[in-house]
Amino acid sequence: MRRGKRQRMSIMVLVIALGLLSGVALAETVFVQAKTAKLRAGKTSLDRVVADLKYGEVLEVLKKEGDWFEVSTAAGVRGWIFANKTMATKPSSGDEALAKLGKSFRRREASDVTASAGARGLDKASETYADKAGISQKDRDAVDGMTAYKIADQEVEDFLKEGGLGEYAR
Amino acid sequence: MQRAAEDAARRSGDERLAKAIRGGGTLISGLLPIGYEEESSIGQAISLQVVARYGGVSDQSDLTRYVNLVGRAVAGSCDRPEIPYRFAVLNHDSINAFAAPAGYIFVTRGLLKQIQNEAELAAVLGHEIAHVSQKHILQVIQRSKQLAGITEAGLAYTNQNPEAFKGLIDGAVKKLLDEGLDQEKEIEADQLGDVFAARVGYDPTAYVGLLNRLKALKGDDRAFFKTHPNFSTRIAAVQRVMQTEGLKPNGVLLGDRFARLGKQL
Repeated sequence: MRRGKRQRMSIMVLVIALGLLSGVALAETVFVQAKTAKLRAGKTSLDRVVADLKYGEVLEVLKKEGDWFEVSTAAGVRGWIFANKTMATKPSSGDEALAKLGKSFRRREASDVTASAGARGLDKASETYADKAGISQKDRDAVDGMTAYKIADQEVEDFLKEGGLGEYAR
Repeated sequence: MQRAAEDAARRSGDERLAKAIRGGGTLISGLLPIGYEEESSIGQAISLQVVARYGGVSDQSDLTRYVNLVGRAVAGSCDRPEIPYRFAVLNHDSINAFAAPAGYIFVTRGLLKQIQNEAELAAVLGHEIAHVSQKHILQVIQRSKQLAGITEAGLAYTNQNPEAFKGLIDGAVKKLLDEGLDQEKEIEADQLGDVFAARVGYDPTAYVGLLNRLKALKGDDRAFFKTHPNFSTRIAAVQRVMQTEGLKPNGVLLGDRFARLGKQL
């Protein structure tokens, strides 16, 4: 009798544990895999934007419908995101962290000669290269202009909309 | 140097890396990945050579803007969307496109003339974006650095040793413009580029159409496009990725918009 009770208890514990495990497995997370992404109140690009999401932001998937996921952000904001703007794996950051580390001690070696890469213009290393390689002023200006060339994120968004691209697919 | 690296690793909370540096000695600094600031210097220097050798860049602002908009649309959904991407049209009749590190991307007038719709342009730019996102050229530089026994290629080093920096850049330019990257890197760029374009909503079959036309125009001999695998291999690789990634041929082509904005040659 006591043995039977123990067995039933064990089975119950097992059932609860399995239930908990499957609960964990059901909570699917995805990451924003786009420079910018909009979280909307509904699953069309015409719905109101409830939040602007950043690259790499983690989202919990609540529901999947067609090309859209209903998600919840870490801050608890709920909304819909175009599925193509997400990925199941976290964008890698370890490489950049290592790279930063590499730079930090390379700089220490000769901090006084470190070039500063400004928002505009060729930096010191490439300018010196241009001198040594005999690159014309016209070609320097071309790369200089390219470096400074700016198109606002909103203009890209308008371009996507006009072409029926991304979440604006017709 | 070794001590500084070890301390830096420890301060960043990575005890394992600190130990690795102690074990690996100064060589480790040359093996660390290249950071964005250095990548940017390398990208600019390579771009100077690309522009110098391919007739300079177009000053047609509408065309430049259009190519940048298509490129930015694709780059926004690539695997490395957080860095800036800039695009320029080269005043050259050859059929080609190039990518330099840090997001400097070029397409020739000759290639634009062969393109028939925006989806094809998106895949071409996607191919170049993939070279940047996968750091293909940086890997070449990293390897040549190791072969040359150079343990540092940081900005401090490049400014102290402009001759060595020039050597690294000239080697990378030779590989990029004359010899070509490894075949598997080109195939990977073809496949990823088509995936990136399809993610934004462009028809993934468009790229196959362009490659087929170029094959008919130029033949399937690698002698012409010596920097890339032959067209049949590339077409088969793109078709394979469409199947494995489940890319559906229901995206947009935008032939009209391309005819209006991309044909201002």
